[in-house]
Amino acid sequence: MARLKFLCDANRCIDCNACVTACKNEHDVPWGINRRRVVTINDGKPGERSVSMACMHCTNAPCAAVCPVDCFHATDDGLVLHSKEICIGCGYCFYACPFGAPQFPQATNFGSRGKMDKCTYCAGGPDADLSEAEYVRYGSNRLAEGKLPLCAEMCSTKALLAGDGEIIAQIYKERVVTRGYGSGAWGWKTAYGETITVT
Amino acid sequence: MSEQQDGRSLGRRRFFRALGTGSVAAAAGAVMGAKDAQAYDPGPEETKARYRETDDVRAFYRTNGYETLRK
Repeated sequence: MARLKFLCDANRCIDCNACVTACKNEHDVPWGINRRRVVTINDGKPGERSVSMACMHCTNAPCAAVCPVDCFHATDDGLVLHSKEICIGCGYCFYACPFGAPQFPQATNFGSRGKMDKCTYCAGGPDADLSEAEYVRYGSNRLAEGKLPLCAEMCSTKALLAGDGEIIAQIYKERVVTRGYGSGAWGWKTAYGETITVT
Repeated sequence: MSEQQDGRSLGRRRFFRALGTGSVAAAAGAVMGAKDAQAYDPGPEETKARYRETDDVRAFYRTNGYETLRK
């Protein structure tokens, strides 16, 4: 069975933020919440790299381990999804996540947190597939339509890869071999406990 | 005066004794009737695999690989 993963080829990412915009538009994400962000390392210095980051849908997800109400569940293809019905907005998952993926809307003018929101890998949530309720809570469900996450599908430089982990790892390996260099699969060691080695 | 006071204090004691017994019984009932906390069980429908290798997905793999550029 396929294990769905994200892979950002940092040698191709040009920090255009199209993935961020596409995600916000596709899921009608409210102001102040970014399910995906582009992080630039060594900005303005030699070796500058930009990496598009969102929830990596970790193996043994730390967010799920610390959740006091167990609102997370992993699907058979490795996605880490959560139920907004159960989430109490405590914020523990935000502290546990190594990628800063969980986001919280401001619920009141006094700064209290609302239900956690994060990347769903465009797979919706526990509500019925392609229902209005699912769209309002979790955004669109592209996987149910037989598509991949929009951020990856519309990446103009094809830096962001999504899909079956083995296939995208193979695509990345071919790229590294062909061009002769690569800066590694960012976040894979942390998220999946493995890395891509090119021999 | 003191008999009146005794009568009043006895009545008050009986009242508080009855109140205490009632509270203990209510607390015991609540403990006996309480259920264990249930963990969230997502069920097979929510944990099912969502990924399908459709034409759209295959096109994504094809256009992202260098194989496409060679052809």
